[in-house]
Amino acid sequence: MDQNEKKVLLSVQNLDVAFKKGKKAFKVIDNVSFDIYKGETLSLVGESGSGKTTIGRAIVRINPCTAGAIYFDGKKISGKLSRKEDRDVVRKIQMIFQDPSASLNERATIEYIISEGLYNFHLFKDEKDRVAKVEEITKEVGLLPEHLTRYPHEFSGGQRQRVGLARSIVMEPEFIIADEPISALDVSIRAQVLNLLKKFQKERGLTYLFIAHDLSIVRFISDRIVVIYKGRIMEIAEAEELFAYPLHPYTKSLISAIPVPDPRIEKEKKLLVYDPSMHDYSTDEPSLVDLGNGHMVFGNAKEIEEYKKIRFGN
Amino acid sequence: MTNNEAFENVNEEELFRFLREDEKVSSEKIVAPRYSYWKSVFRVFFKKKSNIFMLVVLVLLLLSAFICPLFMPYDMMENITNPATYNLSPAAAMKYFGGFSFKWMLGSGGMGNSIFYGIFSSARTSLMLAFICAAINMFLGIVLGAVWGYSKKVDAVMLVIYNIVANVPLILLVTVIVYIIGTGFWSLIFSLCVTGWLGIAFFFRTQVMIIRDREYSLASRCLGTPLPRIITKNILPFLTSVIVTILATELPSYISMEVYLSFLGLGLSAELPSLGRMISLAQSAFLIYPWEFWPPVFFASVLTILLYLLGQKLADASDPRTHMM
Repeated sequence: MDQNEKKVLLSVQNLDVAFKKGKKAFKVIDNVSFDIYKGETLSLVGESGSGKTTIGRAIVRINPCTAGAIYFDGKKISGKLSRKEDRDVVRKIQMIFQDPSASLNERATIEYIISEGLYNFHLFKDEKDRVAKVEEITKEVGLLPEHLTRYPHEFSGGQRQRVGLARSIVMEPEFIIADEPISALDVSIRAQVLNLLKKFQKERGLTYLFIAHDLSIVRFISDRIVVIYKGRIMEIAEAEELFAYPLHPYTKSLISAIPVPDPRIEKEKKLLVYDPSMHDYSTDEPSLVDLGNGHMVFGNAKEIEEYKKIRFGN
Repeated sequence: MTNNEAFENVNEEELFRFLREDEKVSSEKIVAPRYSYWKSVFRVFFKKKSNIFMLVVLVLLLLSAFICPLFMPYDMMENITNPATYNLSPAAAMKYFGGFSFKWMLGSGGMGNSIFYGIFSSARTSLMLAFICAAINMFLGIVLGAVWGYSKKVDAVMLVIYNIVANVPLILLVTVIVYIIGTGFWSLIFSLCVTGWLGIAFFFRTQVMIIRDREYSLASRCLGTPLPRIITKNILPFLTSVIVTILATELPSYISMEVYLSFLGLGLSAELPSLGRMISLAQSAFLIYPWEFWPPVFFASVLTILLYLLGQKLADASDPRTHMM
């Protein structure tokens, strides 16, 4: 696929996010840049604490950017926005949260939770229209209209995540950030939620930023994958390319950690441990370099040469 | 291995069977009716017989404090000229005033006053004081506390004010106010309210801050929910149990505060009967004249305990987890 033909929906450029100010500042995200094309699923993977969620939250503007910029549909959305632009962005970018029990208001009925966004933007003609919209989306995510009068604690984890999904989708967004939407769910429920996400993508042409730490699930859902380690991007590649040619040692160690459902192979499998001190960056500063086919790796000139050799042969 | 073999012998079709589409739906159907939040709060609350009992007793006490004084006019000074009526036990008082009467069934006080009549009139003053103070302080505390907790700019200013004002002893403040505007019902309310809301507001500030950063509040922000709706839908419903609990501790605290300040001579003016005044007058000789001391103490304690217990029960009932049939 030629990526130049695709339209960039969201662009993150040289993003820095730091917590606390002045001398105590702690950089969580360090010079991160990537583009998300319309209609694709881009996954952010990395260990816990690597800054995946922070990037997602910077995009929905819960965490302010320290430096760099975020562009949505060509318009800058980081920093100050006019009220109208702000509301527009809020509606178009929705988020699905990790913990479905923490992200639903326990004192509100499912009907209110799903309608909340509709109320805020008055996305309905009259009361009847709102109820119809809510009931339709409830059915689409696999819940029943009978569920609407109930409270979140009366549902299972999978059902709650469906509610979380419904309240985002009902806003008719263009872009959804799914922040580990399945990591709190039972393995048997995960596939259901993932399939729902895929279904909505196909039907409505949604674009996803999928945040996860489980590479096997990421492989199933994403078009491209961004591997992130301690707030820096280590590798960006299309999903199959990344699994076929993992170049950065950190990516290799992540892939080696995927469990194999065969005890004999799993027992013999050698786990790779990533040790950042293996790089010698004292003389040559590393950067994120495109190897030529959209596969980008973080490294210095010498390492990039090696990666190119591994990827393309001589 | 035996387990595995046992499973291998069973045909998979015997173990599982796919549900038909219509079966799925019917198993998911739930007959729970649509219910309103406050209705179910009260349903849970009234389900317990003990709650109803306590509520009835509390209402009776409150009514008696506000209705009895209309039929039983209390005058502290009615027998002040007759020292023979001072400090009479219930039996002696009824004998002195000619046979059984409600008025003297609890004996007489240090000025020949009727203890029984005195309790209701005193309770009325104390309760009015407590209700007015609680209403003012809770209102200011919740509203300002919510703003304080939500806005970081307000927080910076308010914290300084709080740190300064909270370190001024209440007694000092009350003394100054009493010297300026004199003792009396409204001056006492003023001195209890002028800084009283600050502590409540500080408490709510912390609560609001906790809830503000919870994930469902972040979710509401992502959905573009405006601040007033976040406060009414995300924050206040979670605070109802806290509000009720604080109210249940604040109300009795004003009753005891009045007792304390009246004891120091900073409370109500001398001609106004109150539970605090009755207790402080009787406490110096409560071993010799126990009938003067125990009735107001008993009334005040039952009132505070009931308020506190009912507040707790109402707080429990306001959690929707308890609403299941």
